[in-house]
Amino acid sequence: MSQHHADHAPDQTEVPSEPALRVKALESLLVEKGLVDPAALDVLVETYEHRVGPRNGAQVVARAWVDPAYKQRLLADGTAAIAEFGFAGSQGEKLTVVENTPAVHNVIVCTLCSCYPWPVLGLPPTWYKSSAYRSRTVMDPRGVLRELGLALPDDVEVRVWDSNAASRYLVLPERPPGTESMSEADLALLVTRDAMIGVAKVAAPRVGGGA
Amino acid sequence: MNGIHDMGGMHGLGEIGYHEHAPGFHEAWEVRVFALVQAMQLGGLRPDIERIPAAEYLRMGYYERWYTAFVTRLIERGIVTRAEVERGHADPAAVKATPVVTPVVARELLFRTPQTEQDLALTPRFRVGDRVRGRNIHPITHTRMPRYTRGKTGVVERDRGVFDLPDRERVSAEPTPQHVYLIHFTAHELWGEAASAHDALYIDMWEDYLETA
Repeated sequence: MSQHHADHAPDQTEVPSEPALRVKALESLLVEKGLVDPAALDVLVETYEHRVGPRNGAQVVARAWVDPAYKQRLLADGTAAIAEFGFAGSQGEKLTVVENTPAVHNVIVCTLCSCYPWPVLGLPPTWYKSSAYRSRTVMDPRGVLRELGLALPDDVEVRVWDSNAASRYLVLPERPPGTESMSEADLALLVTRDAMIGVAKVAAPRVGGGA
Repeated sequence: MNGIHDMGGMHGLGEIGYHEHAPGFHEAWEVRVFALVQAMQLGGLRPDIERIPAAEYLRMGYYERWYTAFVTRLIERGIVTRAEVERGHADPAAVKATPVVTPVVARELLFRTPQTEQDLALTPRFRVGDRVRGRNIHPITHTRMPRYTRGKTGVVERDRGVFDLPDRERVSAEPTPQHVYLIHFTAHELWGEAASAHDALYIDMWEDYLETA
């Protein structure tokens, strides 16, 4: 996002010719009009910048790997199961957790906008919001996954979840081999955001190596 | 509406630009827009994002679309004027409001999951296992029914419960609660014989989007 658009659309005031300045002006207008409380804004910014992110989802996944009863609750009602960690909020309603197995690989996309389970993954990365990911994943999931570095055998069933209506989705990745003796906390460190979107697998820990 | 946002199955829309460690926000203003939208609680912006002309939509980044739709919403609701947005200052004659979202409310919003499911005992039109077809409809306003599902046959996998039909949001003040179903389509049905015979697509669909197949 290095390019700016200073020479575009001079007649359309809603298009930020210089986004940072436009947003700053809008913020000060809304504060000046008494519509926005700057302290509330700080709470929201701080939360989404630093507190809500894929580390939340990673804790959920690690718990599901070590605790079969938790895994059952998670697959039955994702929203209730993440609430056990205190994870809640907008875009967490009707959270559906889909489990990867050796026979089934799940991948999440939102073709109509960029719906994403904020309470467990935070805000989506740019590539998830790209027109190419949104347009291609439903039609050619294997091609997209291959391009992103994940080649799946032909006999694995790929399930694409287009998440733009009532539910949000989280992929429960497969627990990698060689992690039998690891603690829940160490397992959580292995879990990546992209594995929980379904465009990657969780890699086994390197032999003899720390994180 | 059959807008550019309804892009499932299109070709030629550039690169994915994948980075394993890509952050959720790239520039500081992006999180400010995000937070301003949360702080105003004016409802989902999707209908207004989808009204952005196609060429502009494709040129803009995600949070530029949010900004544009947010300003449209603020002006159309009479909350601010275009002149105020351009100046970045309030009309001196305007009455000062009291913010709805205080820090306490913000914390509540952050840690309370909204209840979108409606507690209504409506008789479902479809049952799990029913074969259903996406209706051949072309609403000109907001819809959650992607084009690629129209005319395609799938199977009801799950009844999600009752939710307000979002298509009505801009058309009528009256909510239209109805059942939402998780529909299973085979990749073959959606994309033809070239698609993998093993693969499938799952999507939630409101009752109005479906007919018996």
